[in-house]
Amino acid sequence: MESNILVVENLWKFYGREVILKNINFTVKRGETKVIIGPSGAGKSTLLRCINLLVRPDRGRIILDGDVITERRDVHNIRSQIGFVFQHFNLFNHLTAIDNVLLGLIKVKKLPREEAMRRAKEALLSVGITEELWRKYPAQLSGGQQQRVAIARAIAMDPKIILFDEPTSALDPELIWEVLNVMEKLSRNGMTMIVVTHELGFAIKVAHEVMFMDGGTIIERGPPNQILLNPKGERIKRFMDRMWYLYSLNRSSKVA
Amino acid sequence: MLENILYILYGYGSAIALGLKYTVIITVTSYSIGIALGLFIALLRVYGSRLPRALLTVFVEIIRGTPMMVQLFFVYYALPELGILLDPVTASIIAIAINSAVYQSEYIRASISAIPYSQFESALSIGLTKFKIVWIVILPQAIRVAIPALVNEAIYLFKYSSIAYFVTAPELMYIGKSIGSKTFLYMEVYIILAFIYIIISILLTELAKIIERRHTVPSFIGSKV
Ligand SMILES: Nc1ncnc2c1ncn2[C@@H]1O[C@H](COP(=O)(O)OP(=O)(O)OP(=O)(O)O)[C@@H](O)[C@H]1O
Ligand SMILES: [Mg+2]
Repeated sequence: MESNILVVENLWKFYGREVILKNINFTVKRGETKVIIGPSGAGKSTLLRCINLLVRPDRGRIILDGDVITERRDVHNIRSQIGFVFQHFNLFNHLTAIDNVLLGLIKVKKLPREEAMRRAKEALLSVGITEELWRKYPAQLSGGQQQRVAIARAIAMDPKIILFDEPTSALDPELIWEVLNVMEKLSRNGMTMIVVTHELGFAIKVAHEVMFMDGGTIIERGPPNQILLNPKGERIKRFMDRMWYLYSLNRSSKVA
Repeated sequence: MLENILYILYGYGSAIALGLKYTVIITVTSYSIGIALGLFIALLRVYGSRLPRALLTVFVEIIRGTPMMVQLFFVYYALPELGILLDPVTASIIAIAINSAVYQSEYIRASISAIPYSQFESALSIGLTKFKIVWIVILPQAIRVAIPALVNEAIYLFKYSSIAYFVTAPELMYIGKSIGSKTFLYMEVYIILAFIYIIISILLTELAKIIERRHTVPSFIGSKV
């Protein structure tokens, strides 16, 4: 029990009559990196949104560090303990890079300005955003830089877990690497993370476990090599074949 | 003609200055009340619960659907029947402020809805409460979007505060009319008034540009979905 930082039990979500999540069960250990893959509409984003309570699950429990967060009413307190990195970065457009990171530290964590500043700088440097970029606005940064600032914004809050929802799928190919690299480093340094991604290289190299989702359930789970290279079920086999096909196309086009 | 203009400026300059003072007072006060009330209406209409939202929608439609003159006469001539007696300047300020509040609320409301929901959501995800998100993430962006419309409203009010003339508030138009009827130099008087209105409108426009430049953020809208 101690080593599990996140427990998802019996989770269901409906939109109207449609079942979006069907009895999801899994645990995440402290320091673990879990990758979720699956076709569009599988419910991956909905699952992540349920975990930080952006979406209210209809049934089931989510336990964060021993705390049954699905029963808590002070949702914003819970959310401040969970990092979330969006596909489209979603930096605050009217704030500079460093102010984006400072906002949560000052307005949520209520840290004194100096302490907040120290932590913001540390977080930005750890994702490779150096001083000359701190005063730039999101629109003045490349996609890769924006996403790294978004990761810094999450890290600075000292979260118990960070959820990534396709963090590189809005990026130009040559910018994907810098973001994955930061995430890999984060994982190696012991951050607990759940990553929805189709970057197979990242999954193979970094994930401790991969879960394949389809139709609102987890169809198969296991070590990355098994799920990505030797899956059992028909559906996942077909999906992985396609993913590898695209992935190798990508590789060869980059080499050429 | 020039002589006459100088004669009026010399003889009635202080009266004109007093008129200008009232015009400015009416404009500034009603604009300030208008923006505060407009912000309040906009926030309730976007984030409020169903009942206040419905009531405010009706209110906004009533004000937008009637001439400002009707609203002014209602405040000045009709309210006394309910025992509410107001002097001309106060009545003008109240009527113009309410009218302006409705328009300003529409500008602010439109600019709030121009801010993508993803901004709200990412603020939620770092643990901000709804109230704080509106104040420190949504409004600072929305107001920037609304600045051109809000500034136009100020220029518009400055000109249309002249409507207070009809309830005998001693603002520029009223003073002009009375100087005209004393001297019969209507042409000259109204040239002077037009000149004052134009100069101040230009000044406001320039001020607006400065404000806009100060608060500009590199293409902060449209950069993200
Ligand atoms: N707010 C909503 N209202 C109604 N249906 C929704 C809502 N959000 C998601 N859905 C539906 O739930 C299903 C799962 O959506 P979700 O975004 O979780 O999928 P996903 O696995 O993240 O897909 P993708 O790879 O396209 O991001 C989809 O069929 C979607 O249409
Ligand atoms: Mg998704």
